[in-house]
Amino acid sequence: MAETVVETKVETSLGTPWNVVVHDDPVNLMSYVTMVFQRVFGFSKQKAQSHMLEVHHKGRSIVWTGARERAEFYVQQLHEYLLLATLERAE
Amino acid sequence: MLIRRLKENSIELVDIEPIEAELLRQVPGVCESGGDPRSEARLFSSPADSSESQFLNDWAEYVRPELRHLFLAARNTVKEDLEKLSDFPGRLGRLIVPRVHSDAWLNALNQARLILATKFNFSDRELSMHEAPKWFSRRDLVLQQINFYAEIQERIMDAVEDE
Repeated sequence: MAETVVETKVETSLGTPWNVVVHDDPVNLMSYVTMVFQRVFGFSKQKAQSHMLEVHHKGRSIVWTGARERAEFYVQQLHEYLLLATLERAE
Repeated sequence: MLIRRLKENSIELVDIEPIEAELLRQVPGVCESGGDPRSEARLFSSPADSSESQFLNDWAEYVRPELRHLFLAARNTVKEDLEKLSDFPGRLGRLIVPRVHSDAWLNALNQARLILATKFNFSDRELSMHEAPKWFSRRDLVLQQINFYAEIQERIMDAVEDE
């Protein structure tokens, strides 16, 4: 019996990392943004301040990279604190 | 006005001047965007660029109503706390905020500041200015209001962090 081989090209995005990006906002206080990073990501105060300063000086900071579902969860949490946060595919 | 931790479970606002009491009472009202598109756009900012259309649709359908509910709940908590603000004529006011309400206060104060800054179109430079102007237009007064709410946010964070 002839054997039929079906080739399937599976394109999965499961392994594609996603970035959680926080954008600069002149209204949110620096101390508030630091507190939010500590709460949402469990960052140390030093790491939270480092990301906050990156947002402040460079306009944005990638605060987390990983699986899509988790990234969506973090973006939602950041929006609950009224931070400007987006999800984007990691390069 | 002095803001400090009171025992374990509360934050106390004491020596509240009448003008400060008035500004505090305005917080829930200021948080009402009144459907202003720019304020709405800031409170409910986009979580991704337009290439993520399915995600944006899901967000609008499921997440945005949750956020709206959360923001409203924070405003209502602040409103209820403010009903207990004691400020009799000729005396300075006092308000006790339960520790568990501190997040609601931070959130509502943030909403108020974001909406005021958006409605009055303040620039980064203006928002970082701390000099009092020589004369006060309505816009200058709103900037003072934004800065006043920022100070309260700072003091509440300090009081919570001290624990």
